Amino acid sequence: MTATTGQVDQAPPVTRRRPRVRAIEGQEVALIGVTGLLWLVLSLATDTFLTSGNLQNILFTVAPIALIGIGMTAVIVTAGIDVSVGSQAAVVMVVIALLVRDAGFAFLPALAVAVVSGLVLGALNGLLVAYGGIHPIIVTFGTLNIYRFVALQIFGSEQVAGVPGAFAPIGGGAEGRVFGVPVAWWLTLVLAAGMWCYMRFWATGRHLYAVGGDAFAARLAGVRVRRRQISAYVLTGACVGLAACVLIGSGGLVQQNVGAGLELRVIAAVVIGGTSIIGGRGTVLGTLLGALLVGTVTSAVTLLSWPTELTQLFIGGFILVAVGVDLLRERRRSAR
Amino acid sequence: MAETITEQDHRALLRLHDVQKRYGGVRALRGVDFEVHAGEVHALVGENGAGKSTLIKIVSGAEVADEGSVEVDGAPLGGGSTQAAMEAGIATVYQEPHLFGELTVAENVFLGRELLAGGRVDWATQRGRVGELLEQIGLDRAIGDVRVADLPVAEQQLVSIAKAFAHSAKVLILDEPSAILTDREIEVLFGVVRSLRAAGMGIIYISHRLDELAQISDRVTVMRDGEVVATRPTRSLSVRQVAELMVGHELRADTADRVVPTGDPVLDVAGLGRSGAFEALDLQVRPAEVVALYGLVGSGTDAIARALYGIEPADSGAVRVDGRAVRLHTARDAAAAGIAMLPGNRKQQGVFADKSIAFNISSAHLRYLAKFGFWFDRARERSLAQGFLTRIAIKAPGPDTAVGALSGGNQQKVVLARQLVRAPRVLVLEEPTQGVDVGAKEEIHRLVLELADGGSAVLVISTDLPEVLQLADRVLVVRRGAMVREFGRGASQAEVLAAAAGDNGDDPTSVAADAEGAPT
Repeated sequence: MTATTGQVDQAPPVTRRRPRVRAIEGQEVALIGVTGLLWLVLSLATDTFLTSGNLQNILFTVAPIALIGIGMTAVIVTAGIDVSVGSQAAVVMVVIALLVRDAGFAFLPALAVAVVSGLVLGALNGLLVAYGGIHPIIVTFGTLNIYRFVALQIFGSEQVAGVPGAFAPIGGGAEGRVFGVPVAWWLTLVLAAGMWCYMRFWATGRHLYAVGGDAFAARLAGVRVRRRQISAYVLTGACVGLAACVLIGSGGLVQQNVGAGLELRVIAAVVIGGTSIIGGRGTVLGTLLGALLVGTVTSAVTLLSWPTELTQLFIGGFILVAVGVDLLRERRRSAR
Repeated sequence: MAETITEQDHRALLRLHDVQKRYGGVRALRGVDFEVHAGEVHALVGENGAGKSTLIKIVSGAEVADEGSVEVDGAPLGGGSTQAAMEAGIATVYQEPHLFGELTVAENVFLGRELLAGGRVDWATQRGRVGELLEQIGLDRAIGDVRVADLPVAEQQLVSIAKAFAHSAKVLILDEPSAILTDREIEVLFGVVRSLRAAGMGIIYISHRLDELAQISDRVTVMRDGEVVATRPTRSLSVRQVAELMVGHELRADTADRVVPTGDPVLDVAGLGRSGAFEALDLQVRPAEVVALYGLVGSGTDAIARALYGIEPADSGAVRVDGRAVRLHTARDAAAAGIAMLPGNRKQQGVFADKSIAFNISSAHLRYLAKFGFWFDRARERSLAQGFLTRIAIKAPGPDTAVGALSGGNQQKVVLARQLVRAPRVLVLEEPTQGVDVGAKEEIHRLVLELADGGSAVLVISTDLPEVLQLADRVLVVRRGAMVREFGRGASQAEVLAAAAGDNGDDPTSVAADAEGAPT
């Protein structure tokens, strides 16, 4: 406090520590710390962790979750949620698998179809949320089932093998790496960087926060609320399209249950990354770090030959800690 | 002030002609004509429900008029879009500061109308402009980059004012800005408003505090029941006259044949206070007495109610029930002390909307209704509810009807019935007839008086003046967290309203010189 005496003509401006908005938030710093610490411990505890093969594997498996997380962050910041991303991925994968196998599509056209079909599925969610007046969790829970039905309907009871070959450029093999880092991860980084800038500097990106903070007030302020909501779901759909290509490229078969449970891993990454589930707060950087932490823990449990179900325990713990930290911060703020 | 306005300044910036608006069967606006000139501050006053908010919603584009025309600076305003209204030059500061905690001050100020350079926000220009605005209203320009959630509430409110001044509006609407500001902040606000007036802006100033009008406004428009009853120069009216115009014909309270209650007070509140909300509150309610606390929105009566309910405990003073000191730290404490309550916000605090009438009535008395202290007696619950349906005329098919399906008035009766299962020693009612139709209102009033006749001490906390005068044996007027006057039965609406709105003769800020002002 700087006490000024004798200043009578003007109301003295209150002088106080001014917490400015930082490029990296507290929660992100904490995540970097925790993940870094884990990496350090794992590097010392095992010979297998700090190998290029394992790190590439972690990055590659995290990529689809982080990719979808980019869109999901926008959705959750607008106080929405999209639980249908797993089913969306299934529809996209089935469509492109059949196109590649039966119609002989090459990598790039297939990628384009994947993104466009993801856009369409996301747009449907967005329109229902924005104009239907139904809670996003109900809307997307509905489309989760409908999209799954669509995937099964297109697919029948088949499974498709051999598709991964077409997606090798984005896949988990050596072909899918540039400078030793999986292409899928480069893609994630570029998209995440773009989204981070958009949500931080662009007017419409900032509006996402306003919509999630108080949609009515945002409308009064002249924010196009519905347009912002739809854009977030559409973006998520497009991200799902890209992630679907990565998932196909990860090898193995495309079969009926692809993408099941994906939504929970994505939402976990977003929440651990510090995005408030009630909207209005969150960053893509946090989501990226959240996804990385989840990937690290999964890998660690495997490398340490611990029972795999421990992964669930750890992820659950991280979610509760992340939400708890968020709550504490809110309380401290409102107590002032 | 008003003298300096020249002829050319009289250009009408905003002109409403014969504007009508209906909500269902309610006629919120019945042919309103209203004009705001360039370079004037035009006060808009009226009781709750007089149509002020509807008028503002139409002007700010949040609602569309059913009939009539709205012109801004000569051009018709196409309603229904807040953005169109903003582009036409209407800026609105709503009563609640609609700020976004995660966005910075600068972002909040420019939200929806960002200064763009390409698709990107022009941060440098925006920051510079915000800095100027903040300095103008006496804030540190550095807070432009601070997240709003990190600011103290008082500063947040000033930010919401900066927000309205950020855009070159022709007409600025201030919807009860002073209800949430401290005196010093109001001074800052008035300073900015005066400079905007000098710059030729037309300002609509809505306030319940009639004492402010002379300080800031040039003309006053009084609304009642969806109509404009008068538009006059502020100088020509006293607070008392404005209050009389707001109330209309003088409704005499129904003094009925109530005996003056005697006996030791059941509820005895001494020196009760909660910092920042109300202070040094003394009041006694005797058996069979109905006492009302009356204050305008923002006066602190709602905080007093919450303190008595134990929801937001008082931090000083003492409460006695039947001479026993009681501690009111939780709602359970209040119930244990014998204080029954009817909360103001029925939807949030009063009813279980999707549960039956019987459930709602019995929910506060589960132990009381249980056999052997544990076995819940469903038949008794039903017959109890059935009894109330006939006794207080709840219009419903039967006790199993969900409360959410009932009208507002009937819902309120259900909540009241819950308090009547066992006659409480003290009943605190907050806005007992808010949003209730006239018929149900009368029945609820009858019930409250009946309950008092049964020996309960009743405290009514209401901003509905006719209701207060109808019910109360004594009316205590609260202004800015302090009790200012007491009236007995037979007080007139205008004198109570004038007291609540700040008409005390020695106050230099009161409107004109009011010879009949409050003798204290």
